[in-house]
Amino acid sequence: MPDETVARSAPPTGDGAVNPLRAGLSADRITSPCSVVFFGASGDLFKRMLLPAVYAMYLKGTLPADFALVGFARTAFTVDKFREYCRAQLELFMPDGSKPQGTLWNDFARRISYITADFNDNRHFVDLKNLLAQNDRELGTGGNHLFYLSTPPPVFPEIIKHLKKAELEKSDDGWTRIVVEKPFGTDLASARTLQAAIEAVFPENEIYRIDHYLGKEPVQDIIALRFANTIFEPIWNRNYVQYVQITSAESLGVEERGGYYDHAGALRDMIQNHVINLLALVAMEAPISSSADDIRGEKYKVLSAIEPPTHADVWSMSARGQYGPGTIDGHAVAGYRQEKDVAPDSNTETFAAVKLSIENWRWAGVPFYLRSGKRLPRKLSEIAVTFRPIPHRFYGDSTEGIEPNVFVIKIEPDEGISMRFEAKVPGPKEHVRSVYMDFSYGTGFGVQSPPAYERLIGDAMQGDQTLFTRWDAVERAWEIVTPILDVWQNTKDFSFPNYAAGSQGPESAKKLFADWRHL
Amino acid sequence: MALQLESVLGELADSLRERGCDASVATMSVVVFFEDATIGALARERIRMLASKHPSRVILLDGTQGDDLHVVNGCDWIELGVKSRSPEILRSAVATLRLPDAPVVLLWIARGIGSDARFVSLSEDAQTIVYNSSLVDVGHDALCEFVEYVERNPKLPLADIAYLRLAPWQECVAIFFDGSAAAELAELERVEVGCGSEPEAYYLIGWLASRLGWTPSAADALLSRSGKRVAYEIHRQGEPRRIARIALSSAQSTFVAEVDASQETILLSAHGSSEHAPRYRAIDNPGIAALVERAILWGQNDRIFRAALAAAGEILTWGKE
Repeated sequence: MPDETVARSAPPTGDGAVNPLRAGLSADRITSPCSVVFFGASGDLFKRMLLPAVYAMYLKGTLPADFALVGFARTAFTVDKFREYCRAQLELFMPDGSKPQGTLWNDFARRISYITADFNDNRHFVDLKNLLAQNDRELGTGGNHLFYLSTPPPVFPEIIKHLKKAELEKSDDGWTRIVVEKPFGTDLASARTLQAAIEAVFPENEIYRIDHYLGKEPVQDIIALRFANTIFEPIWNRNYVQYVQITSAESLGVEERGGYYDHAGALRDMIQNHVINLLALVAMEAPISSSADDIRGEKYKVLSAIEPPTHADVWSMSARGQYGPGTIDGHAVAGYRQEKDVAPDSNTETFAAVKLSIENWRWAGVPFYLRSGKRLPRKLSEIAVTFRPIPHRFYGDSTEGIEPNVFVIKIEPDEGISMRFEAKVPGPKEHVRSVYMDFSYGTGFGVQSPPAYERLIGDAMQGDQTLFTRWDAVERAWEIVTPILDVWQNTKDFSFPNYAAGSQGPESAKKLFADWRHL
Repeated sequence: MALQLESVLGELADSLRERGCDASVATMSVVVFFEDATIGALARERIRMLASKHPSRVILLDGTQGDDLHVVNGCDWIELGVKSRSPEILRSAVATLRLPDAPVVLLWIARGIGSDARFVSLSEDAQTIVYNSSLVDVGHDALCEFVEYVERNPKLPLADIAYLRLAPWQECVAIFFDGSAAAELAELERVEVGCGSEPEAYYLIGWLASRLGWTPSAADALLSRSGKRVAYEIHRQGEPRRIARIALSSAQSTFVAEVDASQETILLSAHGSSEHAPRYRAIDNPGIAALVERAILWGQNDRIFRAALAAAGEILTWGKE
């Protein structure tokens, strides 16, 4: 009766003992108990995204049964007040509107604690160490600690320094991991400085650089599309692909983030991380397995095949823009320089377009056009792969307008895939026209994808780094964009604002691209 | 007499034309057979949920109706009255109406699995066969039939919803024995399951037995690897197809997972040498659509399920003796 082969495959539990009942249970449930410490727990990201994600995981039963949440921030809260604060934020921000109440909320709340802290004062980190030990004893969190840095980035090095000083960088009984929110640095030099601070304390396999974009289901679908099918691989190269266009467009302006954005800009905020990550996924070679190391290794390899531009090249391979007043969805909206916390003569780009080349066997000669901007006509994220035109006018001059095939991976707002191909119009004449085949994950599978933060926090708890960015890829992305940043920062653009809110973007960007997919 | 499928095919073609150039996506053909009107009504509702998540062509074979019934709703929903139809006719109808390239999933929601020639005929073309023993019978007879059928056909891609329904409770039981508490597993002496239908309870005990190496030794007891007697007891408690309580005990400890008074939460309590503060889990009763999805994606070739089913079969056999 005993199933010996399965029993042998049962995963070990936290202390190395084997629990044979674990074998084969759903892998989406996290079994290893832990405390999660949110640095910056009184901030916007925590209340809007992180706390709702953790509570949703609790309600779905995907958190470990023995779990604790620790808030660590400057705002003065007692533990009870912080629990009340968390409850109030969940009332506001749970995406499905579910209310924290009853037995489940009471159980969750008793797992929440808080330390009012000065990030420069090591005594508070010693308090944290004591609190984590108390959680281990009283809540069974097993000595496993996940530190989540959701403070403004300038504070990261200070926190890491004090984690080390308080001997929190390792746990005698369990694991220690650190999640670092983006942006990871503001340029190549600052990213290297931050990396040096982190790697002095934590090894790479304990560092989780989060880019929530990578937790979105459609981004993960790119891997399945490319490597769970055979039909795309033979044509996924320079022989068939004419160019690739990657777009991340938003209709929103900077909203409440003017102070941050005016020091960042579209190139730092979107291209350096989200968009270059998409490029890596769409252009990388097939990893030998779906393991984190194999996927991240291939992503790094393809990024390393992109030659960073010289300063002299920058104007021929990039374009920038800044929105002025305009109209979005029928409403007049202000220009960027009129936004809150933005300098009235700001030189910050709200639109960035870059043309990159991947110098390897697969992609040599195929331009990759990347663009991202704010206050564009609509929210749209996609990867459009345009194939080469037909080699011979089979139908003669009457079909001069035959369009090349385009394969589009749609990421937002309607995740899916579409394909443009040519078909004969029924009738005696040889008319050919473009038709569009469309697959939507929403109607195809009829389910909402889980929010990105749920997926990523769960992965960090499970020790799966696949969807987190490895340092070598972060560094390479900075190496690619830093020359452009240098030139743009040191050159005042007197044409700003050079596109109206709600328009297609600056004319200079359209000239850079072989084709401008309409937004 | 053959089914008149020409009009069904005609309506399907009309429906496709009406849809115009909208692309259609399909993941499978779902063939559902039932012979009980109440079960049929339930099946219709749940299969709609399944088909809304996994676009499918649904072919409902209604064993309560004669061939005056045929319903075509769009391209993807067909109902046929198949009362008194022969196995060959059913198989032929499915062959005609199924999507040509998509896999066939057969949901057999009726008694007679294995002995019913219609089931045998339909199962031959199915890539996945999903049974629901506790929907057919809240007692254990349907489960016994299923055990016997699987023994005779070990390679068929079979899954039972009653087992798949256990997943959140398996998780709850496993939680008790993580870490150092794993040692307690060898000390267990008693298992009690409160459930509104028997198949889930037998599956749960079968799962424990197969994972822990227990073998039946009496109508109400098993023998552990070390020769310790493990008594088991099944109570009818709560709604059919819902587990209400699982209790495991050794001489030193008691572990109980039970639906609490709010009916929204499972309370996990451990007393004795493995004492632990109470823990709570949200009750996660996956709908039938989610369970069928689980069966399709990984249920039918699950070695742990097969082992649990075999163990449940042995326990049932000892119970009869």
